[in-house]
Parts: sequence; C-alpha cells; structure tokens
Amino acid sequence: MEENSNMTAERSLEIITEQIEKSRRAVSKTTGRSLYISGICIMCTAVLVVLINIITMSQGMVGIGHLLWFALPVVIWLLSRKYIKDREHAPVSLVSSMVAKTWITFGFFGIGFFIIALIWGWIGARLLPISEYATSQIRVAPVIVLLMGMAITMTGHILRQRWLVVFGIVAGLLCFAWEHFHVGEAIVMNLVSVESPFALTAAVISSSLPCLTIFIFALVGLLLPGMMLKKQSV
Amino acid sequence: MMFPTLDPLLHSELRLAVMSLLVSAEEAEFPYIKEQTGATAGNLSVQVDKLSAAGYIEVEKTFKGKKPCTICRITPTGLKAFEDYVASLKSYLKV
Repeated sequence: MEENSNMTAERSLEIITEQIEKSRRAVSKTTGRSLYISGICIMCTAVLVVLINIITMSQGMVGIGHLLWFALPVVIWLLSRKYIKDREHAPVSLVSSMVAKTWITFGFFGIGFFIIALIWGWIGARLLPISEYATSQIRVAPVIVLLMGMAITMTGHILRQRWLVVFGIVAGLLCFAWEHFHVGEAIVMNLVSVESPFALTAAVISSSLPCLTIFIFALVGLLLPGMMLKKQSV
Repeated sequence: MMFPTLDPLLHSELRLAVMSLLVSAEEAEFPYIKEQTGATAGNLSVQVDKLSAAGYIEVEKTFKGKKPCTICRITPTGLKAFEDYVASLKSYLKV
C-alpha cells in the first residue's frame, strides 16, 4: 500500500472495511486457537482424572486424580505459548481480551472454590463427627458446572453466537441440578445393587460422572467455538 | 448542500489503513501493521510518526525479550477523528 491522498470516498470506505475485516480475522484466529487448546486440555484432564481415580481406587486412595486439575492452568499456558507462534504479532482486541478474561475469571473462581472445598473437607474430616461431615461436605462439581455455564454464556454473548448463549444457560442450570441432586449417582446405584459383583464398577462410574459433565462442557463450550472461530478466520 | 471537509491526515491510503486496523484492536505491533497493510517499513514508519505527532495514535517502544518491539494504540483523539472522517464519508456517499 503506497501513499495516495487522491482517493475517492468509495476507495476510503473500501480500505476501512478491508482492514477492519483483516483485523477481525487475525483476532478470531488467535482466540479460536486459545479456546481450542483450552478445550482439548480440559477434556484430556477429565479423562486422565477418571483413569487415575480408577487405578488408585484399588489402593485405597479416593479421588486423588482430581489434584491434576491444579496443573491445568500451567499446561494450557505452556501449550498456548508453544502452539500460538503468531501470537507474537497478533493484535489485542476487545473481543479476544474479553473472552480471555472471562475464562481466566472462571479459572480463578473454579480453582479457588476447589481449594476451599479441599481445605474444608480436610478440616471437617478431622473435627466433625462422621454424620455431620457427610452432610457438610462441599460438592465441587455442581458449582464448577454452574460457573462453566456462565463462562460459556458470556463467551457466546461476546462472540455473538446465540447457540452458545442458549447452551451455556440450559446446560449450566440442568447440569447444576443433575450434580447437586446426585441424579447420575442415583441412577447408577439403582441399577446396580450393593451386593452385585458390578458394585465397584458402578461406584467408579458414578464418581466419574462429574468429569464426564466437564468433558462435555469443554467440548461444546471451548473446543467447538474454537474450531468455529478458526474456520471463520481462514 | 455543504459537504464537510475530509481530515487530510486520514485521507491517505496508508494512514487510513493503519487507523482502520487500530480502531478494531486495543493495540497492534509494528510488524503486524506492516504485514496487513503491505507497506514498506520505511514508509510505514513515516506515516506512523505523522499520526503520532497529530496525537491520533500513541507509539510505545519496548522490548520483547531481547528484541525491540514497537506497539501502536489509537488514542481517544484518533478515535474521534476517525469517527468524524467516517461520518463525512457517509455524507459524501449519502449512505
């Protein structure tokens, strides 16, 4: 593009439209890749957590795999640095920073809540009688899916994707109710009696259900929008 | 009907392209602007200096690791000038 001051009004508008569109595509590409990487990381972590929980369950360590969630932000950060090479020159836009801030906020609240629940669980197990401890335990999964639903809804609003907004609200509320009222566990435990030889398998499945919910949320809320944005930017 | 005069600083292909890129981004690095506009580094540098001198953009010279890095941002004055320019264009084109 050379210096030219004798432009027509049409040419001026053409330049403005063209450059805004180029900028939008560059931003979509980077945001899409970030969402895509985060989605894959969360999905892989959910699978790994289930596998570790199954392996360690026989050794008497219940739910040890959940500690893997703490490593997630570091893994996402490292992979983003490695795979988003053109981030070096990509512009920072309001859209990309809003999406990033939405998910960073979700990360802070999610991990913060997880830590509080762990500390409370640890204190409760030592101080409270077993009957009180069972009822006062903080369940992490319902709150995490509710927060994730909110983050997905906000991402949908920022990216102007109506389906994402609707999915975030509906899935967030439904999965919150599903997790809070132990619907999954109740179904699994009703299908398999305690004396059944499949009782251990049923227990493993029911303890893995929150990870399955998080897997689905990451697929629809992060991976699919990420792929969509990447496709739009081509 | 009197047409409003177009801002001469913005009524130039390269400067207008730079402002259009910056208007949709919070900030952008010099190599990105160069790549998107297809301008030469020398020419772009001159036009960026003109926009900066008019207070339309602010230029921050910093380092990314050991490499020098120039970041450009549109200022509120620049944004207002850009809005006025687009409004003037619309009146010319009767959009």
